[in-house]
Amino acid sequence: MGDHLLVNGLDFFYGQTHALRAVTLPIRRNRITSLIGPSGCGKTTLLRCFNRMHDLYPNNRYRGEILMDGRDILGPAVDVIGLRNSMGMVFQKPTPFPMSVFDNVAYGLRLKRVRNAGVLRERVEKALRQAAVWDEVKDRLGQNAQGLSGGQQQRLVIARTLAVDPQVILFDESTSALDPISSKKIEELMTELKKEVTIIAVTHNMQQAARISDFTALMYLGSLVEYDETATIFTKPRNKLTEEYVTGRFG
Amino acid sequence: MSGLAARKAWNLAAMALASLCALAGLLLLATILRDVLAEGLGSLRLRLFTQDPAPPNMAGAGGLRSAFLGQGLLTLAASAMGVPIGVLGGTYLAEYGRDSRICRLISTLSDMAVSIPSIVIGTFAYAILVKPMGGFNGWAGAVALAIIILPIIVRTTEEMMTMVPWALREAAFALGAPYCKVITSIVWRSAMSGIFTGILLAMARVAGETAPLLFTSFNSNFFRLDMSQAVPSLTVSIYQYAASPYEGWVGLAWAAAFVVTVLVLMLNILGRVVIRLRKRG
Ligand SMILES: Nc1ncnc2c1ncn2[C@@H]1O[C@H](COP(=O)(O)OP(=O)(O)O)[C@@H](O)[C@H]1O
Ligand SMILES: [Mg+2]
Repeated sequence: MGDHLLVNGLDFFYGQTHALRAVTLPIRRNRITSLIGPSGCGKTTLLRCFNRMHDLYPNNRYRGEILMDGRDILGPAVDVIGLRNSMGMVFQKPTPFPMSVFDNVAYGLRLKRVRNAGVLRERVEKALRQAAVWDEVKDRLGQNAQGLSGGQQQRLVIARTLAVDPQVILFDESTSALDPISSKKIEELMTELKKEVTIIAVTHNMQQAARISDFTALMYLGSLVEYDETATIFTKPRNKLTEEYVTGRFG
Repeated sequence: MSGLAARKAWNLAAMALASLCALAGLLLLATILRDVLAEGLGSLRLRLFTQDPAPPNMAGAGGLRSAFLGQGLLTLAASAMGVPIGVLGGTYLAEYGRDSRICRLISTLSDMAVSIPSIVIGTFAYAILVKPMGGFNGWAGAVALAIIILPIIVRTTEEMMTMVPWALREAAFALGAPYCKVITSIVWRSAMSGIFTGILLAMARVAGETAPLLFTSFNSNFFRLDMSQAVPSLTVSIYQYAASPYEGWVGLAWAAAFVVTVLVLMLNILGRVVIRLRKRG
């Protein structure tokens, strides 16, 4: 399958704050890669480089490259809107828009000027089914999405992301605000989704990384400490820091 | 222990004083409302809304239909100018220009503009729109009212939009939405009831204004809704009728004052209810 993305010598700055230091990391296609590490080590910062979320704020600066299928997505000529279309993002807290369940899922499609009601309905249903939330919302598609439970909202957000057929989905601690049952549903969903998309997941929860991911990257103070198959990271890490972190001795 | 007792005594005294002041304010309001209610209701006749002003010697005739319509027209014209500019201005402050020095300055100036006496705005409109155009005209009145509502709408719009969590905007950006789309489809929608409330409260503020109209659109006793001429005005009519020696006119003034008070109160209450509902969820 090979590398879908390759982070290559990436540095990132929030103004004067040097938040990522020479990170080099492959992201395998149709696999789940976990980013773990203590709070403040730069996981979110790295994740937000992939869809250029940092572009929204002044004084943020990238140095280095992220290759997607061999093409640098950090370059100035890149169509950021197109990039974000192909990179879904799911945040820590659910972010349902103040509109109906249906309109939430159709949001990205409408942005892409899909207007046909039949097509919209079909794609919305497909996305909601993929996100394993269809049965719970099929009778309330017209209701405000902000009235759903937290777990349902998070799966709705995943459906909203899936509706535009992304190639990659970025999860930033997307289960940490949810109850265990909802978390489990989302974990199962992620495992299911990797058949179609590449997944990068930031997580605080070591067991979760061990359970769901194929590859794991440990970060510390803005640098990549170790990257390997998840089993290797958790059973026979090469780096002392990794060993201490995964056994819970620091972090 | 004695320290605590002293603090408790202070606390009690401060609370008593504050309550007393609040009571004084309420009492004053209650007195005004009682008078307006008693006098206004007593003089309220259907003809207030259906007839135009009649000379004072025609007892039992005449109303303020044209003044109601004129006031409505002026408020509408003011809103047509002030609401779009205000909402777009507030949007600029909350979004494109957020955190910039110039925007903070504009916010501060708007806060100050809210408390400019309306008569000052009236004289300003007189200087730029009445004097050069050679006479009282509706446009000058509408502009004066628009200037009054503008900063209120700018600031409430800005505040309501700033309250919308950034995560929501980011989620829309992450789907590939351009900024203008994020604003119109996400931020405005989230802040809509708040912005709407700001507009209502701004309109409540000018619905009962007299001073800015005295120098601008003035008043007219004729049924004439031509914005290039003096426009009949309810509040200016109340002012003139109330100060007149004719019993019939004074009665009409009370009745009209009653109607204006009820209208402004309702706008205010409606605005506050919307805010309350919004806060609850
Ligand atoms: N907007 C920002 N401006 C300045 N510094 C930031 C900003 N966001 C994060 N940082 C800093 O960058 C570092 C990495 O943060 P982050 O990527 O959020 O860590 P993690 O997600 O691993 O907890 C931290 O030291 C944090 O203080
Ligand atoms: Mg984080």
